[in-house]
Amino acid sequence: MAIARDASEIAPPIEQAPARPTGRLLRRYAPIGIGIVLAVAMIVIAAAAPLIAPLSPSAQYSDAVLKGPGFMDRHALGTDEFGRDIYSRIIWGTRISLQVGLASVIFGFAIGVPLGILAGVQGGRCETSIMRCADMLMAFPTLLLALIIVTALGGTLVNEIIAIGIALTPNFVRLARSLALQIREQDYIMAARSIGSSQLRVMARHVFPNALYALVVVATLYIATAIRTEASLSFLGLGIPPPTPSWGNILSEGRQYIKCCPWITTFSGVAIMMAVLAFNLMGDALRDLLDPRLKGE
Amino acid sequence: MFKYVLRRLIVAIPMLLGAMSIVFFAMRILPGDPCIAMMGDQATTEALADCTKNLGLHRPLAVQYADYIWRSVQFDFGKSLRQGYPVSEYIARMFPHTLILVLAAAVVAALVGVPVGILSALKRRNPLIDYPLRIFALLGLSMPVFWLGILLLIFFSLRLDWFPLIGAGDLDGVINMVKTGEMFQYPRDFFAAVLDVLHHLALPALALGFTLAATVSRLSRSAMLEVISQDYIRTARAKGQVERAVVYKHALRNMLVPLLTIIGLFVAIALTGTVLTETVFTRPGLGKMLVDAIGARDYPLAQGAITVFTMIIIVVNLVVDMLYAVVDPRITYR
Repeated sequence: MAIARDASEIAPPIEQAPARPTGRLLRRYAPIGIGIVLAVAMIVIAAAAPLIAPLSPSAQYSDAVLKGPGFMDRHALGTDEFGRDIYSRIIWGTRISLQVGLASVIFGFAIGVPLGILAGVQGGRCETSIMRCADMLMAFPTLLLALIIVTALGGTLVNEIIAIGIALTPNFVRLARSLALQIREQDYIMAARSIGSSQLRVMARHVFPNALYALVVVATLYIATAIRTEASLSFLGLGIPPPTPSWGNILSEGRQYIKCCPWITTFSGVAIMMAVLAFNLMGDALRDLLDPRLKGE
Repeated sequence: MFKYVLRRLIVAIPMLLGAMSIVFFAMRILPGDPCIAMMGDQATTEALADCTKNLGLHRPLAVQYADYIWRSVQFDFGKSLRQGYPVSEYIARMFPHTLILVLAAAVVAALVGVPVGILSALKRRNPLIDYPLRIFALLGLSMPVFWLGILLLIFFSLRLDWFPLIGAGDLDGVINMVKTGEMFQYPRDFFAAVLDVLHHLALPALALGFTLAATVSRLSRSAMLEVISQDYIRTARAKGQVERAVVYKHALRNMLVPLLTIIGLFVAIALTGTVLTETVFTRPGLGKMLVDAIGARDYPLAQGAITVFTMIIIVVNLVVDMLYAVVDPRITYR
């Protein structure tokens, strides 16, 4: 057995040590970086749609009906059965997806979080009644509940936001309540009460800010759910009706032509997947960064 | 345990009633007249009035509601406005199609998702293994089932012509052969029919199963990570047990409980998935029936389908809660 003659043979050279933290940092921040880049790109595309889209999304080109993609052509991603430019329609569809994704999550957050915090802090009958209503809504999967509501209200942008927002609300209620239950036991809540803070002040100034980061992480993940639900509703023909372009209805219309013209469904599907992926990556990475149990993994 | 079950059942009843009420009132504020939807714009006022009376839609809403709840409790969802025959009969015919799709997708999800999740957790310090597996899970979560279904159809049905484009095979025939015992008299016909059903089932099960596998793999990964950080795993390793024994004898068994919690979630996602999968593959089933019923403003059929979906989810969650104690004796019910 060889014996080490001095410490330099046992200890690794000091110069090699920094390689590991860099790799770890890259592993930790790469997903959130990719997620943020994709999400920001989506926001920019949605905001600048009139500038970026080369053609009008509803303009029909009779000389180019069901034309295949040609990246140097006028219609880079091809056209649909009416000769409309798929590339321009997908760019304009980003607006719808992002609007529904963000607005419905804000809607669900604005209704669900106050109710959840109230249930957690107040307890008693108030908690029971709020939670039973949330449980009732949670018996429906998100898409099914959104489908019922949007069918009842009709397929418009605002109705879709309301439908998906309501479907997401019980999730926010549950999460906010469980966070409020933990926070209300903290010493600083007792301190706030002992100096005479009202229940409303405790909820607004102490419970809500301390629950906010976890709620924001989950809200990011729900943006992905909302975008996917919107696409599903449009695909089933219950979302925003054509000719307004949404990724789901482009895909649904392209279904009839999958034999001859698969590009219609392929490109719109890629757009849906990238958008959902962006917010999933962001939400996951934020959760991993903020959850101490997962540190070091 | 009995008291706990009873309490959960009592809680489930108002939940179910509430869910049914949501469905009823949502269906009643649907735009459009079901009689016009059935008879067309050319129908006379008298014919429309007759139709409204026959369907009981002329009665006050409260009476219709009470009637709906009372009948639904007895599994009588009325008659389909378009088809004319009892909704419960229609649901009973469609249910096996949805059931085999969910079961087949569950098999795909379990076979793919659980090993991927476990491997990803155990090899988490090896980015060459963990990263591709996590990307697989993320892609599965981000890929809408209807898009994956269309891609599979384009490739395997249209390009390669390996699988049928639409339909579900003669599942009713297979069930009839089992019921009447003809499967023993004509085994060759029976197996041919079963193979045809499986042939039609392969792509939808793959599409739905893949998206479910992503959820299963992520949850398996986190369940495994939770378990392998426990003291008893460290003790097993300290005793000198080989890694395989630690994983199979200690970690896998204890991972069952957290994994069990996802069955409720799994059923909810799978049922939602069937609505989209059955529509893409033009398969009969509860999901497609629901979409068609909404399109045709067939209230009783849509109500019946949604009520059955909700009942399944509530019952599955109840059963899962009870299974916890069977799988993990440390859990007691108060």
